[in-house]
Amino acid sequence: MALYNFDQIMVCCDHKQDKPIKCLSYKSRIQRPDRNRRHVGQRKLGTPDKNGEPMTESRKTAAHGGAIGMHGIQKWFGSFQAVNGVTLDIRPNEFFTLLGPSGCGKTTLLRMIAGFEMPTEGQVLLDGTDISGLLPNQRPVNTVFQNYALFPHLSVAENIGFGLKMLGRAKAEIEAVVADMLKLVHLEGRGDNPVTQLSGGQQQRVALARALAPRPKVLLLDEPLSALDLKLRKSMQIELKRLQTETGITFVFVTHDQEEALTMSDRIAVMSAGTVRQVGAPWEIYDRPAERFVADFIGETNFLEAEVVSVADGRARVRLSSGAEITATFPANVTPTGKVTVVVRPEHARVGTASPGSALRGIIHEIVYLGTDTHIHIRLEDGTAFMVRQQNARSGPSGLSKDETVGIDLGDDVAQILRD
Amino acid sequence: MSGARQAALAAQKRDIRSRWLLSAPALIIIFFAAAGPLFVMLLYSFMAKGDYGDVKFGEFSLDGWVSVFFQRDIFDDTLGLADAHLSIIWRSIKLSFFTTILTLIFGFPTAYFIATRPPRSREIWVFLVTIPFWTNLLIRTFAMQQVIRNEGLLNNALIWLGVIDRPLQIMYTDTANLLGMTYVYLPLMVLPLYASIEKLDFRLVEAGYDLYATRLQVLRRIVIPLVRPGIIAGSILVFIPSLGAYVIPRVLGGGKNMMLGNLIEMQFGSGRNWPLGAAMSITLMVLVTAALILYVRNASRGGTGHV
Repeated sequence: MALYNFDQIMVCCDHKQDKPIKCLSYKSRIQRPDRNRRHVGQRKLGTPDKNGEPMTESRKTAAHGGAIGMHGIQKWFGSFQAVNGVTLDIRPNEFFTLLGPSGCGKTTLLRMIAGFEMPTEGQVLLDGTDISGLLPNQRPVNTVFQNYALFPHLSVAENIGFGLKMLGRAKAEIEAVVADMLKLVHLEGRGDNPVTQLSGGQQQRVALARALAPRPKVLLLDEPLSALDLKLRKSMQIELKRLQTETGITFVFVTHDQEEALTMSDRIAVMSAGTVRQVGAPWEIYDRPAERFVADFIGETNFLEAEVVSVADGRARVRLSSGAEITATFPANVTPTGKVTVVVRPEHARVGTASPGSALRGIIHEIVYLGTDTHIHIRLEDGTAFMVRQQNARSGPSGLSKDETVGIDLGDDVAQILRD
Repeated sequence: MSGARQAALAAQKRDIRSRWLLSAPALIIIFFAAAGPLFVMLLYSFMAKGDYGDVKFGEFSLDGWVSVFFQRDIFDDTLGLADAHLSIIWRSIKLSFFTTILTLIFGFPTAYFIATRPPRSREIWVFLVTIPFWTNLLIRTFAMQQVIRNEGLLNNALIWLGVIDRPLQIMYTDTANLLGMTYVYLPLMVLPLYASIEKLDFRLVEAGYDLYATRLQVLRRIVIPLVRPGIIAGSILVFIPSLGAYVIPRVLGGGKNMMLGNLIEMQFGSGRNWPLGAAMSITLMVLVTAALILYVRNASRGGTGHV
C-alpha cells in the first residue's frame, strides 16, 4: 500500500487493486490522532493545529464511544472471498460481539475496522464519516490482539504509555494516564516490570490497558480470552464488561465462544461463511434464532419437522409429526406456510408419562448425569433425536430409566420457526 | 556409601571422560591451529629481528613493540610517533567503521525485504545473497576494479550520460577501499539481519501502527530494538574482517592507501621485520577485542529500551 500524504489530499492505493482512491483530508471531520500529521507539518507539541483545536485536548472529548457502520463490505483475498456483503451498524457505547466459527470472516471484519485490511468493496464509517481510506494509525480505534502483541522490549508502563507517546502527549500526562490504567486493571506497582515476566492473565490486562490508554472511540478485541484458562476467562469476562461500562467506549469483540458472547454482549452478530446470519440481543439470538445455523451454533437445540396450521398475532399454530399442535414464534419479515422446521431448546421441554395428551412421545436411549443437570436423550416415534435437559434436585436420581417410553410436554411458548 | 551410589558416581566419571575424549579432536585443532600460532606470534614480538627476516631466538628485544607506535630519528636517535603506522591504523578503524555503517544501511532494507516475502521465495532470495561467495574474493575484487577504474563501467556510464566530462579518480583512494569492502562484506550483514528480522513477530508492527506510530516510529521504537541481536551480529561479522582486510586494499587502494593487513604483510615480506609484524598483529587483535567489548556493552545497554 502506498500512501502519499499531501496534507490536504490523501491518495491511498489498495495494493490488491492498484486503484487510487482519492479521499479529501479527514482531519477536519474526524477527531483523529494528532501526532500523525507531524511528519507533514512538523508542528510543535501543544500548539493548536490548523483548525484551532489544541492538540492535547482533542482526543479527551471522546467521552462517549463511537458508532461503527459497515456498509456492503466485500473482501477478497485473491480468489477467496472472506467477507460477502456485510452491513452492520454498531451503536455508540455498545458491547458488540462478532460470533462465528473460525474462518467465518469475523476477524477480517475487525481488521477492517482497525485499518489493517481495506475492504475490496463497501465502506467503513465511524460516527457517520467514511474511514475506509485511513491508515490504522489515523483511526481513533485501538485493538487488543489475540496473543496480546505486547512489546517485549518495553516495561509494563512503557507498553501502556506507547500510544500516548506516539500521539506526542506530555510526559506528565502519560505518567498520569498510565497510573490510572494500572489501577483500572489492578496492576498497581507493576509498572516497571518487564512484560515478559507477567502471567498470561496479567499480560492480557496490560494489553487491555495499552489499548484503552489513548481513550479510543472504539476498542476492538480479537479473541482476547482464548489463551486463558477457564477460571481466569470467567473473571476476565466480568472484568471486560465492567471496563466497558466504566469507560463508555464502544467494544467490538470477536469470539468463537458462544458462552462468552452471551455473557458479555449487548448485541451479537452471528456470522458464517463471510455473511452475518443474525443480529440481536443475546436472548434473541438464543430464544429467537432466525435460521438453522444460528440455532445450531448457539447452545443445544432440538429440530422438529412441523406444518403450519394458522398464523395470527405474530404467532403460528404448528402441527408436529405426532399430531399435537403447539404455538411457535417466527422471525420478523417471514410469513410461515407449509412445512417448516421448529426449534425447541432442551431446557424448555419436560419429560412426563406417555399419554395421548403428550406433545411428543419416544423412548429414552441415554441418560447423562452432569451434576447441575441431567440430559435425557430420547428417540421420538418418527425417529428424530430429541434431548431434554432437567435441572437436578437433591432428591437423587430422576427416576427415569433407559428404554422407557415417555411423553414430552412442551409449554405454550417454547418453539421458534426457522427461516428456511 | 551404598553400592548404587558408587555405581552412579562411576558412571558419571565415565561420562565425563568420554565427553573429553569426544571433544579431543576439536580441542587439538583449536590448540595447534589457533592458540599455538598466537603464542608463537606473541613470542616473536618480543625478540630481535633477524637480518634476512625471521627472528634471533633467545635475544629479547622490545624494538618490535616500540616501533608499532614510535620511530627512531635517524640523526639524533630520539623517539617520535610513527605517523605512517598511526595513520594506517586510524584509516583501518575509520574505513571499517564506515563499511559497517554502509552495509547496515544497504543490508537492513534488503534483509527486511527478504524476511517479508512468502516463505518459499525467501529461500531463493537468501540463496541469491550468497552467490558472491561462490567466486574467489580476489576475482570479485578485480571485478570491482573493472567497475570503478578510470575507463571502467561506472566512469564510462557517467560520461556517456553527461554527468561528468572527466573520469572520476576512484581507484587508489579510500573511497575505493570503502566501496570494495561494502560490496564484499554486505552478505555478512544481510544474513544475520535476515535471521533476526525473520523471527520478528509482525503482529507487534501492527500493534505499533494501531497505537498511532508512524512508519518511522515503528521502525525506531519496535523493529530496530527487536532485531538488535541481528544488528550486533552483522556489525561484528563485518567490522572484524574489515579491520584486517588485505586483498581489497591491496587491489583497490594501492600502495598509498594501505590498511593494517597490508602493513603487517609488508613486515613479514619486504620489510623483513618479523617482530614488528608480530607486534602489529597482536595490536590488531587487541583493537578488535576492545571494539567488540565496547560495542556489545553499548548495544546491549541500549537494548533495555527507553520509550
